Amino acid sequence: MQRIESVRQLALSVTCAILFAGTVAGAAVAQTKVVRVWHTETDPASVKAVAEIVERFEKAHPDIKIEAEALAWGDLEPKIQAALAAGAPPELSHGQPITCTALQQQGLLLPLDDVVKAIGESNVWDQIKQVCRADGKYYGLVHAAGTSLLIYRADWAKQKGLKAPKTWSDLIANAKALTMDTNGDGKPDVYGLTIPGDNLFINILVGELIAANGGQLFDDKNKPLFIDKRMIEVLNFWKELTTALPPGWEGHGYLDTFASMYGQKAAMMFQGYGRGASLIEKYVPKEMQDTDHFDVWMKPVGPSGNKPAVQVDEEPWMLLKGSKNPEAAKEFLKFFYKDENYIEYIKSVPIHFFPITKSLRQSAAYKEIPMVKRWGGWLEVQQEALDGDLAKPTLVVKYEDLNTKPYLMQVLGSGIIRDMVLETVVEGKKPEEAAAKAQARAEALIKKAGYAKW
Amino acid sequence: MHSSHRRRTASVQTSQARLGILLLLPAMLLLAGLTLYPVLYGVWLSLHHKHSFFPQQSWAGLENYWFLLADPEFSESVWRGVVYSVSTITLQIIIGVGAALALNQYFPGRSLVRGIVLFPYVIPTVVAVILWKWLLNNQFGLINYGMVMLGLTDEPINWMGRTYIMTSLILISVWQFFPFVVLAVLARLQTIPTELYEAARVDGAGPLSRFLYVTLPQLASVLFIVVLLRTIWMFTKFDTVWLMTQGGGAEKYIRTLPVYAYLRAFHYYEAGTGAAASVVMFLLLVVFAAVYFMMFRREEQL
Repeated sequence: MQRIESVRQLALSVTCAILFAGTVAGAAVAQTKVVRVWHTETDPASVKAVAEIVERFEKAHPDIKIEAEALAWGDLEPKIQAALAAGAPPELSHGQPITCTALQQQGLLLPLDDVVKAIGESNVWDQIKQVCRADGKYYGLVHAAGTSLLIYRADWAKQKGLKAPKTWSDLIANAKALTMDTNGDGKPDVYGLTIPGDNLFINILVGELIAANGGQLFDDKNKPLFIDKRMIEVLNFWKELTTALPPGWEGHGYLDTFASMYGQKAAMMFQGYGRGASLIEKYVPKEMQDTDHFDVWMKPVGPSGNKPAVQVDEEPWMLLKGSKNPEAAKEFLKFFYKDENYIEYIKSVPIHFFPITKSLRQSAAYKEIPMVKRWGGWLEVQQEALDGDLAKPTLVVKYEDLNTKPYLMQVLGSGIIRDMVLETVVEGKKPEEAAAKAQARAEALIKKAGYAKW
Repeated sequence: MHSSHRRRTASVQTSQARLGILLLLPAMLLLAGLTLYPVLYGVWLSLHHKHSFFPQQSWAGLENYWFLLADPEFSESVWRGVVYSVSTITLQIIIGVGAALALNQYFPGRSLVRGIVLFPYVIPTVVAVILWKWLLNNQFGLINYGMVMLGLTDEPINWMGRTYIMTSLILISVWQFFPFVVLAVLARLQTIPTELYEAARVDGAGPLSRFLYVTLPQLASVLFIVVLLRTIWMFTKFDTVWLMTQGGGAEKYIRTLPVYAYLRAFHYYEAGTGAAASVVMFLLLVVFAAVYFMMFRREEQL
């Protein structure tokens, strides 16, 4: 009996101690506003830049604590889903433009107009203002923009007398010419082209190619256009490219294709980006780290198209409804975009990150960044694509698609487009057969999601 | 006096029982919260149309299950899961038992070798898969380089491409998990009485007969559990399979049932269908376990 009493007293004491400790800790936490920030720039230089901006912000705002986390693309969306389901979303997160629009249409985002106002609306490039905007409000603000690039070995192209490809046929010819047997064993050891086999990048590429071929992915009634002549041409083009692609390309990830390029196993990279310049400076011999060896071309046009198309990597910051400290998060973003802070972020991958503010892009400090000087040609091609309205986000052919086709996020995730390409290119099915299968799957998905209007 | 003592004893027992329940309650609540609730929530979710991001949901009844039955991707993923599980388990058992038999013999440096054999099982899956992906890379990988140098193949094999990716996955999984079999079997081997082997020798049994008629029957109970556990773990294996491609093109060719369920929930954003696929996976394992128990439980030694 006495023992039971002792146990009861002990349990009571422990409970009181826990409650007391909890109250004290809770009071301490209540004084600090915590802002959770999820971003997808996992490059160590970008992570460091964000950490330094956060440190400066916290010094200037002692009542706000920023918890920044760099996440791989594949991890981000499941994490956002889990956070939304748990009712505990982060204050800020990166997202694909199509994800941002889908979340906005469900009323899950808060506007960032205060941040745009603080930056100065006229200070933001017009192209950027088209992303995740509804009813005149900004529900997403791009962290930095960069377009896809056709990177090629300029020294080898010069040796072979190759010029910039204007059409898909030119590109195939260049790729074949650059597929080389350098050691004379009768087999190619340098392939003309490298393409990632990831779901995301195949989707990006199909979006680009269909736009460059004058087509669309979905009509106004949301019906897929996969059996359209222009899509069949895309699939046939891809099939022809495989003669110059390394075997097993479907198993190559995005970074593998960069490795092929700087590892001198590939002569052209169709789905390159400005961050390639940073990787070249890191991994290729010093004497080759220039545009005489690695340069970029504007992408070619398809047989049914009349202008090139590229993808623009421009994930917006999203401010999630239901998060605890949205106002503090806005303060952080205002601080982030100040020229003196933003330039640190841009500098981390300067050829991939185009500043969204005119003030920074036109500043002497930006133009004096050593990599910007060294790889100016790469930036010019991106600028041309942005100014010429040739650059669109993943699976977006016209900017209106972002608002009128909220199912694009599901189409991307489903892998339907990836499977259509692989069935044609890797499994050897007829393009029409693979396209018909993809058409049926996409129609079913859109019907199931409730967007079919045909 | 006697009855008052009995009453006091009963009161103490009741009080102790209450305290016992009170002390068990946190653990039971934890179990219910972490195990029972997610399972029931999964079943409930599988009966609804639910977008993974958005809050709306509607009652679907068995629609998600009918959808799975008609979906060729689902049946392909079940088949791939069966191929993957059966191949990896068979190889794990063969290699694991062989290695355990070898490690049960005395030889110099045995303790060190036993430690090294466990290495694949103790390194994190993500490290193991990244390591193997680089070793198997068809442009820069050491394995292809070695094979070409030794003249085993004329040109590098595309281990991560369509044709060989399932083989690569099976080999990596076997490498990673066979030490579990070694651990379990070796522990049992060390407890088999040596008298049994001596008696068999006296009766003229050779090494093969001793293995078949002494060792193997003694290992039966351990192998029963090992096969059961490994089947459950391999059929539901997600991390190794997913990390091989992380959604890359060749993922299509190794899409097993857990990956299919994940894709439905987190890439198609169909939480209800994803949950239904998980429930089906759970039911398949229950059926397997029941049949397995019915077939082998009657054996006296198990």
